[in-house]
Order: sequence, then structure tokens, then C-alpha cells
Amino acid sequence: MPLLDKLHAVVGAAHVRTGVDLSPYVIDGRTPEAAVFPGTLDEVAAVVAAAAEVGMPLVPWGGGTAAAVGMPPARAGLVLALTRLRAIVEHEPGDLTVTAQAGLKLAELQSALRARGQWLSLDPPDGDRATLGGVLAANASGPRRHLYGTARDLLIGVTVVTADGSIVRGGGRVVKNVAGYDLPKLFIGSYGTLGVIVEATLKLRPLPDHEQLVAVRFERLKDAGAAVRALLGSDLIPNAIDLLDAASAAAIGLDGAPATLVVGFDGLREQVDWQVTQLASVAGPYGGRAATPLPPTAWGPLGRAAHDAFGTPVAVVTLSVLPSLVADTMEQGASSARHRGLTTAWSAHAGVGLVTGAVRAEGERQDPAALAAVLAAWRAAARVGGGHASVTWAPLAVKSTLAVWDDAGAAGRIMQRIKAELDPQNLLNPGRFVAGI
Amino acid sequence: MSSISAPRKSALRRELQSIVGDDGVLCEPEELLVYESDGLTLFRALADFVVFPRSVEHVAAIVKLANRERIPFVARGAGTGLSGGCLPAEGGLVISLMRMNRVLEIDYDNHVAVVEPGLVNLHLSWAVGSRGYYYAPDPSSQQACTIGGNIANNSGGPHTLKYGVTVNHVLGLEVVMPDGEIVWLGGRTRDALGYDVAGIFVGSEGTFGIATKIVVRIMKKPQAVKTVLAVFDQVDHASAAVSSIIAHGLVPAAVEMIDQLTIQAVEDAFGCGYPRDAAAVLLIELDGLAVGMDAQAARIVAACREAGAREVRTAADEAERQLLWKGRKSAFGAYGRVSPAYMVMDGVIPRTRLPYVLSRVNEIVAAHGLRVGNVFHAGDGNLHPNILYDPRKPGEEARVVEAGAQIMKVCAEVGGSISGEHGIGLEKSDFMPFIFSVADLAFMQKLKAAFNPTGLCNPGKVFPTKKSCVEAGPQAYRPHAIEAQGLAQRF
Repeated sequence: MPLLDKLHAVVGAAHVRTGVDLSPYVIDGRTPEAAVFPGTLDEVAAVVAAAAEVGMPLVPWGGGTAAAVGMPPARAGLVLALTRLRAIVEHEPGDLTVTAQAGLKLAELQSALRARGQWLSLDPPDGDRATLGGVLAANASGPRRHLYGTARDLLIGVTVVTADGSIVRGGGRVVKNVAGYDLPKLFIGSYGTLGVIVEATLKLRPLPDHEQLVAVRFERLKDAGAAVRALLGSDLIPNAIDLLDAASAAAIGLDGAPATLVVGFDGLREQVDWQVTQLASVAGPYGGRAATPLPPTAWGPLGRAAHDAFGTPVAVVTLSVLPSLVADTMEQGASSARHRGLTTAWSAHAGVGLVTGAVRAEGERQDPAALAAVLAAWRAAARVGGGHASVTWAPLAVKSTLAVWDDAGAAGRIMQRIKAELDPQNLLNPGRFVAGI
Repeated sequence: MSSISAPRKSALRRELQSIVGDDGVLCEPEELLVYESDGLTLFRALADFVVFPRSVEHVAAIVKLANRERIPFVARGAGTGLSGGCLPAEGGLVISLMRMNRVLEIDYDNHVAVVEPGLVNLHLSWAVGSRGYYYAPDPSSQQACTIGGNIANNSGGPHTLKYGVTVNHVLGLEVVMPDGEIVWLGGRTRDALGYDVAGIFVGSEGTFGIATKIVVRIMKKPQAVKTVLAVFDQVDHASAAVSSIIAHGLVPAAVEMIDQLTIQAVEDAFGCGYPRDAAAVLLIELDGLAVGMDAQAARIVAACREAGAREVRTAADEAERQLLWKGRKSAFGAYGRVSPAYMVMDGVIPRTRLPYVLSRVNEIVAAHGLRVGNVFHAGDGNLHPNILYDPRKPGEEARVVEAGAQIMKVCAEVGGSISGEHGIGLEKSDFMPFIFSVADLAFMQKLKAAFNPTGLCNPGKVFPTKKSCVEAGPQAYRPHAIEAQGLAQRF
């Protein structure tokens, strides 16, 4: 095809994969036409322009860790892999900022920063495989978001290739900037539907002197929820407050107490020690047992605890709720699933109200109607406090029986207008996202 | 002012009064004068009407009327803005949100408050203060500016170094869209579904619609606070100390710099205890746990001494701490002692470029035969050079404007930005090409079209454009009404 010739001319034949080489890039059983690996920003722009010219859809691709989120592309197209763009463009420690290319693996970026006493305060699961651009496009976060926020609190500049193949920059390289519209916010969590992130500038933090994760066990989720409320109203400044049910606790190697609160602290050694001691007096009145220290290796699995509870679950649902409703959401969510014969595991970044529920696969006995009913019940519960719930992982057979994304309401129409203005041919990840985008 | 015929104007007035009541519409020229400028009195534009809605339904009805009549409209809060952003550049309606100023709900369990846009920033901290909470974004005009205005400009303040700017504290907004539809963007939970439309709305300078309810985070007051004053004999050393503090692994709540000219003006006016002979002082604030506070302060002191500070002292008590901050917060008022007028600039640079840029600022201002005082958010690299001048001297104001443009160019050249917190508005729309390409601006225009396709909502702002009815360019300085009352300063 003429497009393939053009792609060869742009990136070189060695950087275009077709045929059997495409197996890592199959999404939900759909094989792309080709996978292209541009080596420069200009090459990305040329690839997008070439695809746009013939109306070929594009799937931007980083580490592939979020490839199953949302619906698969409505039409087979080109996978646009950013993995050759992995340079750290600029890191000036005195500015506490870094500019890096999108295909750089998060773990590689962190280790380069760590060597100079700093870090990017984003700790999503799969950081060893996920790329910087992918983490931003998926708005991925981890336990430490409790204190340090998410990408919207850290991303200060972004370079994207837009649907027509232009290179556009938004924000800048300085930590405070109100010139022009806040394009970094637009691209965070947009799942590659508005442009291809090729470069990003982020705020950094100095590495803390010391950090400690501890676990406090409770007899009931409800009690742990009350302890979270007390903790949030106390003088303590935890960097993580995760709540796990028995199945999720077991998944990260803790004994399966009915509820486990995993709390992190960082700072000077004396600050960490003082807070660990104080935690006992905050959690004790709610039935929390003595805090037990966890090793630093517990951080990684923590963010995936519910997801990993059953090996391969049949569905994983992410719910955004009010922090005060987290324990109830977990308890009632488990109960409504149980009534329909489904087994679930739950974890939450409890201080910020981000809850994950995983449903165990039942093999032959799997009843799609039961799963749909459970999802509907969870959604209704999340909406009570103004929240929402979406399926963030499931096999295609399951996804195609459900509304994967929750209903974005009137705001969804604005999102559709944004998409129509910025990608009028609907070529970037078509059909994957919220509101049919 | 647009050219609306007298009969049409009188019909519009009646219709607006039917929406908001007889006491909610201004249209006499002398009444409209109060609204012809914001805190940046360099620009003026007269509205045809100023309307005072009391509810979201009022706002939606006004906006629908404006759409039907094809007349432009712009939202206005307290008018403390410093870029002309709320001026009716093409006439039409000014929609004042000052009567929508309630705290609607405080949810302490979830650290969230729901407020109306006309609420004064500081009043939110007052409302939650007795329970040990506060609203973190603290623009220096916080005694007068509104949260709705903060939304438009994504306002900052001294403590944004540690706690972020307005957008980092906004979860959701009820918005009247430019076509009059009422829509919620974001909500009460931390993670919104779909695109971050609330995040994009914040900082859109009133061009994406009018916020009528705002969900903000409130924060626990820190257990302990410590304020350090570091005194330097050379400005370069003070600049170097900013990066040195960062290199010591510390992110203070605030790091503010005050230069000699400003120190002397402040000391003349208030006697805050800054050494008059210092080339510059840094005002550094730490907050957080009481445990470890002394150890952190010791690191700050060490970093400042390494950078060449001649004296570093910690406020002994709350009274001394307040006095040190009074000097910083009153600096703008104190310029009145040394100059009949001044113009405040707002630019941002990478922190490590402070020594170079400050010396360039001094060169540029001197080359224009003017003086400059610097008092600014050094920790963020957010400069506020204040160019002093005498508006009665012919041509001096034009030289101020020219020097300001050159300073903005220097900020752009070192990889910085032309605004850290004041916004682009009318003032800097022609400077946008300093930092954005044609493609960047075209993309932003498309984004604007998704929200505001007719362009009737706050026209003439942000993008380079011909300044239609606005009286642009150097004019005699006049303090804004709010400034004259001592309620606000120019930061």
C-alpha cells in the first residue's frame, strides 16, 4: 500500500513492523495494519500526517500497560509506538523540573532522577514497563498520590503531535505559568484521543530522607473507614492511605485480616518515627491493632492489590467516590456481588476516594447478566456521592456486553465537541473513550 | 462601548431588569465608569450594561439574552485583576458575580467546600478557620479578590510554591456555558470522568463560560510554621540561595525575595525590621509537623549561609513573624513613598536563571531612564519587577511599556513564561507569540471554539488581536477604586 511506502520513507523499513511481528500490538484480538516506530518528533509528525492524509486511524502506544483500558479501536489502524523517543531532554536539579520524551520508561526516568537526589512523585503500578507518555495519557497514579497528587499537579508542559500532524506545545518549562490555555490538563487522561504526547515537562521533588510503610489491621472495613476519617482530620501528614480487604491484603502477602490499613510516611527520620507512633493513638480507638512495619518492596504490589487477588479476574472496576464513603463502597460492593454469586477483592487509595473492585472469574459458570447487574449496582452507589465507576480491565467478550465507561452526562457533550474540533476525522484511538469518543 | 441604539438599549434594560430585578442593572454612563477597568488601569473599556445576577438561573438567562441579541458579555468578580481580563473589550454586558458570594456547603469529612464565584478568597478561610482548616491559594489581593476571579486566572500566591495554584485545589464547577446551558464540569470526587474539563476551564480567563458554583479543597492548617529572614549583601547571592535551598532537599511553603529599593520603601513606611543596607532579603517559610521543624530550619540557615548570607534569623514569635510578612505584603503600598506611580510586571523564569534575569531587568530599566523595585515569589521563579515612573513626565509611561515588553522577551528567551499569575487578558495578548508558535495558538483557538464557538463570551482576550474599542497604550496613571481604599495591592 502507498501508506506503507511512505512510512518506510519516513522512519526507515527497519522501524515498521507488519505481519507476525505485530503480535505484541494486538488489542482485544484486533491486529493493526502495521506498527511504526518513529525516532524523532518530526518523524512522529510525518507519520501522523501521512495517516491523516489517507484517513488511517492511529493508536499511540507506550509500554502497552493500559492498552486494554476502554473499548478496542473501532477500526484497525496503525500502532504508533513512542518507544524510540526515550531521551531525558533536560534535567536541571536547581529548577526541580525535568523534560523527557514520551517513550522513556517511568522506572528509567526515576532512576536517573534518583541519582541526583530527586524523583517524580508518580508511582503507578507497572512503572517498570509503563512509559512517561503512557502514564500521562492514562492519568495513572499510585498510593503516594494521597500526598503528592496526580499528573495534573505535576505536568507543567507538554508537546504533542496533533491529529493533522502539527507539533504543538502547551504550558512551558517553568513551575508557575498561566499564559494561554492549560493544554497539559487537556492531554492528561485523554488516552491518546486528542493528540500524541511526545514530550513532557514535570515538577520534581527532592527525595525524602526516610520513608516507612506500616500496616494496621481491623476487624471490620467500617472501623478502618472511621480510622481513615480520624487520620485525615489529625495533624499527621501521611503520603499514602490504602485500605485493603482480606483478599487484597493476601495478594500482597499480608495475613487476611478483614480490613488492613496501609499507611506511608516520609520526611526526616524523627518525623517518620513520631508519626508511626502517633498512628497508633489515631487508629486505636477504632479497633486498629498495633502498626506493623512493611518493607519498601511492599509499595509496588500495593497499587495492584485488588487486581492481583485472583490471578486473572473477569473484570476490574475503578470507582471514584467521596473519601468518607470508601469503606461503605467496598463493603456494600462486595455484598451486592455476593448476592449474585460473584466473589470480589477490594482496595482503595482511601484518602482520595479511588476504589478498585476486582471480580473473580468463574470460568464455565460465568453469567454475563450477573456481572452487568453488579456493575449497575456499583455505579448507582458511586453516583450517590457524585462519583462514577468504569471498567478498567476486562476481556473483550466481557467488555462488549457492558458499558465500559460511566455516563459523563452533559459534560460528555462538551468532551465530544472538544474531540470534534481537535480530531475532526476521528483518527486518534476512535471509539475507545468516554461518551463514544 | 458598542453602538446599541437608544430604543434597543432601553428595551434591553427592561428585559435585563425582568431577569435580575430593577436594582440589578446599571447603564448610566457615570455608573458604568466604575467598571471600565480592573487593577491594571492602563486599559479601559465601557460596557453598555453591568448586570448583577443572584443565581445560576439569572446568569443563564442573561447569557441566553446576550446570545439572542448577539452582544458580547464578560464575567467580573472584584475587579482586582492585573491584565484587563474582565474588561468589556467590545462593549456589551459586564456580568458581575458579586451578589453570588455565599459559602454553600462545607464538608469537613471530605475536605471540600462548595462556594459561589463572588465569594472573597479570604472569606472562605475565615469560614473554615475555626475548625482548623483553610483555603490554600493566597493571592496577595485575597482580602478583595473573588474565588470566581481566581478560577479565571488560575491565581497563585506566596504559598503556591508548596501547595500549588488554584487549579490544584478545584475539583468541580457548575458553569453557564457561552450558549447559556448549565453544565457541571468535574464534581466532588478527586478523579473526574473523561477529559479534565474542569482543569481546562480554570485559567481560561473567562473565555470558556461563567462558573456559578465551585467545589474546592480545603486543607488542615499546619501544626507548626517557622519564618526565616536571610539577609544578603549581593542580589546574586540571594538568587543563588534559592537554588541552594532546593538542592538541600527542601521545598519550603514560600520563598519570597525583596530587593534594596523595596526594603527601604517598606522600612520608611512600616519599620518591619529589614536591614536598610541589605542588597536583598529572602523571606522563607516552612510549615508542617512540629517535630523536625528545627532541623529543617537549620538546613535552610545552612543553605543561605553557603550562598553568602551575612545574617540569617528566625522569627522568635508570632508577632515577629507577622511583622516580617507585613513588610512583604505591604511592599506595593510602600512604593508610594518613593514614586508617584509604578507598573507591576509578571513573568516567570527557571529558578536557576534568577541571577542573570534580575541583572538584565536592571539593565533594561536603567536604559529606559527608569527605576525598578523587585518583590516576588523567588521560589517559583515568578518575577514581579515594579517599574517606577512619574506619569506627569511626558513620554515616561511609554518608556515603561517598552521596558516591560523587553523584560517579557528576556523571560521568554531563558525558557520562561510571560505570565505566572496575572493572566494574559488584554495586556499581554500581543506578547503570546514570544512563547507560542502559530500552530500552538491555532490549536488553542480550536479548543476555544469547542467551548465558545460564537466568540461572544469575553472577546478580544488571550489571543493576539486588534484592540477594537479599548483605549490602549500609555495613559495617566490612576489608582483603581479598590486600591485607593487600601483593600488591595498590585502583586
